[in-house]
Amino acid sequence: MINSRSRLAIALYALMAVLCIPFLFPTWWMITSSFKPVSEIFAFPPTLLPRQFVTDAYGRVFELQPFARQYFNSLYIAAAVTAGTLAFSSLAGYAFARIRFPGANLLFMLVLTGLLIPSEVTIVPLFQMFLDVGAINTHWPLILVPMLGAPSALQTFIMRQFFSGLPHELEDAARIDGLGRFAIYRRIALPLAKPALAAVGIFTFLYSWNLYLEPIVFLSSPDKFTLPQALTQFVDAYGGPMWNIQLAAASLTAIPVLVVFVIAQKQFIEGLAYTGLKG
Amino acid sequence: MASVSIASVNKSFGSHPVIKDVSVEIADGEFVILVGPSGCGKSTLLRIIAGLETINSGTLAIGDRRVNDVEPKDRDIAMVFQNYALYPHMTVAANMAFSLVQRGVARAEIERHVHEAAAILEIEPLLSRYPKQLSGGQRQRVAMGRAIVRNPKVFLFDEPLSNLDAKLRVQMRGEIKALHHRLATTMIYVTHDQIEAMTMADRIVVLRDGKVEQVGSPLDLYDHPVNLFVAGFLGSNGMAFFRGSYRDGQFVSSDGLNLPFAARGDLEGRDVVCGVRPDDFILTDDGVDATVDVLEPTGSETQMLARWGSQKFTSLFRGRLTAPPGSSVRLGIAPGRAHVFDATSGLRIDGRQSPFHA
Repeated sequence: MINSRSRLAIALYALMAVLCIPFLFPTWWMITSSFKPVSEIFAFPPTLLPRQFVTDAYGRVFELQPFARQYFNSLYIAAAVTAGTLAFSSLAGYAFARIRFPGANLLFMLVLTGLLIPSEVTIVPLFQMFLDVGAINTHWPLILVPMLGAPSALQTFIMRQFFSGLPHELEDAARIDGLGRFAIYRRIALPLAKPALAAVGIFTFLYSWNLYLEPIVFLSSPDKFTLPQALTQFVDAYGGPMWNIQLAAASLTAIPVLVVFVIAQKQFIEGLAYTGLKG
Repeated sequence: MASVSIASVNKSFGSHPVIKDVSVEIADGEFVILVGPSGCGKSTLLRIIAGLETINSGTLAIGDRRVNDVEPKDRDIAMVFQNYALYPHMTVAANMAFSLVQRGVARAEIERHVHEAAAILEIEPLLSRYPKQLSGGQRQRVAMGRAIVRNPKVFLFDEPLSNLDAKLRVQMRGEIKALHHRLATTMIYVTHDQIEAMTMADRIVVLRDGKVEQVGSPLDLYDHPVNLFVAGFLGSNGMAFFRGSYRDGQFVSSDGLNLPFAARGDLEGRDVVCGVRPDDFILTDDGVDATVDVLEPTGSETQMLARWGSQKFTSLFRGRLTAPPGSSVRLGIAPGRAHVFDATSGLRIDGRQSPFHA
């Protein structure tokens, strides 16, 4: 028997399924097309599943460019940026939330103005700066700029807001228990900040992973390229895209993002249960 | 165990003074309660003793040691906070052990201390739980356990019962008192609840606006309040106050009524406030007619809201009585139980002064 309540539920799920299509279809198309020959990608009527299943494109991805190397570049840069940003933003955020020093608010405002400056504005002076120190066509600009520059301002803000919400009594108790300022940060505040750290981590990783303008400005040799930059290089002699190969490379590029999201999503849910002292 | 000496301590937040020249001597093993309305500086004073706040001037000593510049961890104190301040990411056992781990105490010994404290507080089954899995009363016990484990010279309590429901509060009140008997350690306890202060303390320190109003045993403060503030603050049914002056040796209220307060020839012509505890009213034919507003029988006693002229007051009688609202009863005051205060300064002006008055 189907009562009206479960009928409503079915209708609701049907609607949600339809609404999912715009989000799921591009991914579906990307993955399935990477297993099709080029002729089938443009066939009419289009096919949802590859009629002719070929994996050539995946091999070609690694032949045309040092793709494994580029993959490693993107991974380690994103990992370094994430680790560095977590360290800097949690330290700075904690300091802004808890340590009273003259000019703290002014300094924090200054940090926040970093959010208002588009990266396109600073990229030329940054290029000049890194040229002066001989760091062009190295990964240093891609690691140092997000970690120490404007992009970490938002993360510092998030961390500061989180630390501001921690009860002062916890720190008082920790002081009586014999912890110094850094130990309080490290052993009390930081373990409680897991939800905020997860949010900052996922934002930062995605930011670095998707970075496009900076790599094409700072890097010139293919073995230094990062993935978003490398994707645009899968072109034929006339500059036209090699669709099946590009889609294969794009599919491979999406994997770490999905992995990070799945891991951090678990953290987010844990974070919801983590409400500190109340309850 | 140690005494605590607070001598001429001053503390300001910016230009705003919150503790003004406070001096209190607390004996070894004593249970002292700091009480006062919110904003009176009682919590700040406790935090000063803990070392969480620095002082601008004065001397603070625990035992024979001047601790003005000593870090909280080195003062040999333990503190129980209002919201318990248990570390949410650690189990109960880890919370209790934390300070000992910090001090580098051997593992076996930590284990022993934690289990001893857990046994005293009957929280052994909770040791592997996290604070969020505990009820308010259980958290309160764990917070006390964390303090006991340290085996401190002085326990500091900052309104530890105010987050508990009324029934649990009464129970924990008894347990803290029992704990004091058992450990015989100096305890300093902050509350805004005068009942807590009256029932638990060896001595009470009444604070107002950062100043000590009076120090003394609960009953000493109850019987001999040094001023109107202390008189009104202590006691569960506030003291009844009557404004007026002495004429021809008799107290005449501001309504012109002769009220049955003892004659005082020495106060002739002076504006005073006379105070009576609700239970010090008596029914007597020699009394003065009071108009009954409300009668509230509670079984064992009867509370009566009444008026002498325009001045309303609460009186309390053992047993039962009947008096319809609007009727009048003749009320007197038990001999020697009236309090007389100067109307301008608010200071007590009758015979004996409290030996502890500030």
